[in-house]
Amino acid sequence: MVGVQVIVGGLLLGAIYALFSSGLTLIWGMMNFINFAHGEFVMLGMYVALLVVTWLGGGPAVFAVAAAAALFALGVGLYSSLIRHVIRGPLLAQILSTFGLALLLRYTAFLVFSANFVSLPPTALAGTIKVAGIFLPVAQLVAGAAALILTIALHILLTRTTVGSKLLAVAEDRAAAMLMGIRPDHMQALAWGLSAGAAGIAGALMATAYPWSPSVGETFSLIAFVVVALGGFGSVLGSLYAGLIVGLIQAVSAFWLGAIYKDIVVYGLFVVLLWLRPQGLMGRT
Amino acid sequence: MRQTFGLRAIALLLAAGLLLYPVVFTDPFYRDVGVTFLLAAISASAWNIVGGYAGQVSVGHSMFFGLGAYAPLLVYNLWGWPPIAGVPFGIALAISLALVIGMPTFRLTGHYFSMATLAVAELIRIFAGTWGLVGAAIGLQGPATGRAWWDLTFRSELPYYYIFLGVLALLLATTAIIENRRFGFYLRAIKASERAARNLGVPARRIKMMALALSAAFTSVAGSLYVVKTGFIDPDSGFGILVSVQMVIVAALGGAGTLLGPLVGALILVPLQTATNTWFGGSGSGLTYILYGGIIVLIARFEPGGLSELWPRLLPRLWKRAHAA
Amino acid sequence: MLLEATNVSKAFGDFLAVAGADLNVEDGEIVGLIGPNGAGKSTFFNCLAGETTPTGGRIVFADQDLTRAPPEAHARAGIGRTYQVPTTFEDMSVLDNVMVGAFLRHPHLEDARDHARRIVDMTGLRADQRARSLGTPGRKRLEIARALATEPRLMLLDESLAGLTPTELHEAIALVRRIHEMGTTIVIVEHIMEVIMTLTKRVLVFNQGHVIASGPPEAVVKDEAVIEAYLGRRHRRQDGNG
Repeated sequence: MVGVQVIVGGLLLGAIYALFSSGLTLIWGMMNFINFAHGEFVMLGMYVALLVVTWLGGGPAVFAVAAAAALFALGVGLYSSLIRHVIRGPLLAQILSTFGLALLLRYTAFLVFSANFVSLPPTALAGTIKVAGIFLPVAQLVAGAAALILTIALHILLTRTTVGSKLLAVAEDRAAAMLMGIRPDHMQALAWGLSAGAAGIAGALMATAYPWSPSVGETFSLIAFVVVALGGFGSVLGSLYAGLIVGLIQAVSAFWLGAIYKDIVVYGLFVVLLWLRPQGLMGRT
Repeated sequence: MRQTFGLRAIALLLAAGLLLYPVVFTDPFYRDVGVTFLLAAISASAWNIVGGYAGQVSVGHSMFFGLGAYAPLLVYNLWGWPPIAGVPFGIALAISLALVIGMPTFRLTGHYFSMATLAVAELIRIFAGTWGLVGAAIGLQGPATGRAWWDLTFRSELPYYYIFLGVLALLLATTAIIENRRFGFYLRAIKASERAARNLGVPARRIKMMALALSAAFTSVAGSLYVVKTGFIDPDSGFGILVSVQMVIVAALGGAGTLLGPLVGALILVPLQTATNTWFGGSGSGLTYILYGGIIVLIARFEPGGLSELWPRLLPRLWKRAHAA
Repeated sequence: MLLEATNVSKAFGDFLAVAGADLNVEDGEIVGLIGPNGAGKSTFFNCLAGETTPTGGRIVFADQDLTRAPPEAHARAGIGRTYQVPTTFEDMSVLDNVMVGAFLRHPHLEDARDHARRIVDMTGLRADQRARSLGTPGRKRLEIARALATEPRLMLLDESLAGLTPTELHEAIALVRRIHEMGTTIVIVEHIMEVIMTLTKRVLVFNQGHVIASGPPEAVVKDEAVIEAYLGRRHRRQDGNG
């Protein structure tokens, strides 16, 4: 029974990994660009949730939407003020831009919020319920389910809607998209908004169930790398499966090997992937 | 020709300044800043070989630094050898790791190499924190008092200063030689366009691998120097991400892919870091990294070539203004 | 036979960019390769230069099988190429650009520099100029110089003469002639018929990934399949030589 509990817990966390990783994969698919500050976006989403709860009150729905909106705005703002300018520049500038941003956000968060772990005050989602013989915190269940739905929604947005096909058109061929009357700059700004928004809402969802500190951003960036590498660069659906798998592997290795080993196993998986199917890592689905 | 002459004059001035610095500034505090400066310059120059010249942006070079830092204290703790005897082990480990990472990643795009280096460095950091043999989270300690001169535990900063300066000179000489050899041309060509370079017969993968191995070896030596001086290492100060950050920012600020860029970067950043740490005390290090992050973003946005690109454009303007006045 | 490319194909997923193309080139020839945009000429060139591995067929150059060899091996074997969109090393000087090519046969700095200087002079470029500051014609010329510095036996010129003014075009034609006279075999992709007519004795027409006609340029331009391919009418399968 404990085994089942571990597995379900891993899958629920994995759904949240899937949600924020799909933001990273979206940007890679659109513009072959890796955002090293992606995990920091998740971390910011968590603190936005905390601030909204403390200052304004309101339930999980309120702060989750607030986190998504705040990070969406941050994503669009960053694209137009920074990313747009470095994207055509040398590789060094591309990597340094978001790498520096990650440091800036992480250490500003340390300064403002201190290095201590925090968690949200008990929300409407407090308590545990018993489902099919296992006990689950309500918050974990709701957060995981919401993340799963949102990831699928993002996938549908990209594959079944006009906005989605415009985004894909820009990803496929900028020049051709322009001829079709699509403004690539607007679409890429939108992609950054969606990507950061997904990270933000994932952070807010995670905040309902898990405590955190400013240093979680780095871990989440690395987890997103592993998920995207496993699921295929540019594929939201791939991120969904890979996110669930990574969540599961983490939970299982934490349970059987000890909490400290869960990241070793996941990063180790990344290195193994690197060796086994580097060609698959570049492919876009 | 004029430019090479100017460069030579600057290099001579720098060399004289570095040689005389601890003679002029005898206060241990200033000498310590000097040693810190040299270490930053060595690490950044080592990173520069692969990150600057070859354009393969590693953001996980702490993995090589950490190996170089752990090796001396490991041979001391295990077998009682003088720490300096661990240096070759550090170099060998760093080169092996470079080959393991380079083989798969150099087939892929540049972004991918960066992601991989970050992940591997973090993997090793966490692993070192769990492994009892290397002291787990507590780390390793060197000889508290030297048993003989070969333990290299000096009370004065002076011997460290000149040992570090010697290594820096060796590294810069190596880099300068590379610049004017086929290898250096190939590195720059790969950075500009790997595709075009390969079509001209450049075995790009092998060249990148050699650059990474060389860079790893020198970075490992930097780690060894650090630990010989401090006599202590733990996972964060060896493999932590901030160690990598320091190398990248020092090189990028001064000018990645230029001989003296890392030196210039260290000349600006080390005093800056010392100042924030002195003025703001414990919270200073956090502030330093906020500042670092900001500087990195600004370089990326406005001056990816670093100061080495900015000077040539700024100086003629100042020159003109001075003459107009 | 210097180059024998037999039944070369390259598929990207379901799309066949090159579909069973043949090209045989004798030592000392200049062969023209024409065809409408998207006919697969550049992909075929990429196969010949080793930049993409063909999914089928065989490429033999100077009795070496280079079908699956990497681009650097093609360069060592003696194949040089230029790009449709120039990829010069932007931050390096013209001389340094050419030296990268020269190092292939002259490992020592001084030898490479001397060799590169001779080629820079021959192509009429300025040695100390930065590649970044050159216009498109200058870049295309630099690409030729850079490839020439590897001392290729075969040069693949991919629209190196496109977008030039009439004067520049005539200079460029003269340069290609000189390269040919030095004993270099040339395959040239070009849309400008004047270039093809003046430079080549044999032309191959590419359409939909394979050769649809070949022969002397005067005959080929009259070929019905070629006219159809260029006019873009519905393509009737008319394989074979004209």
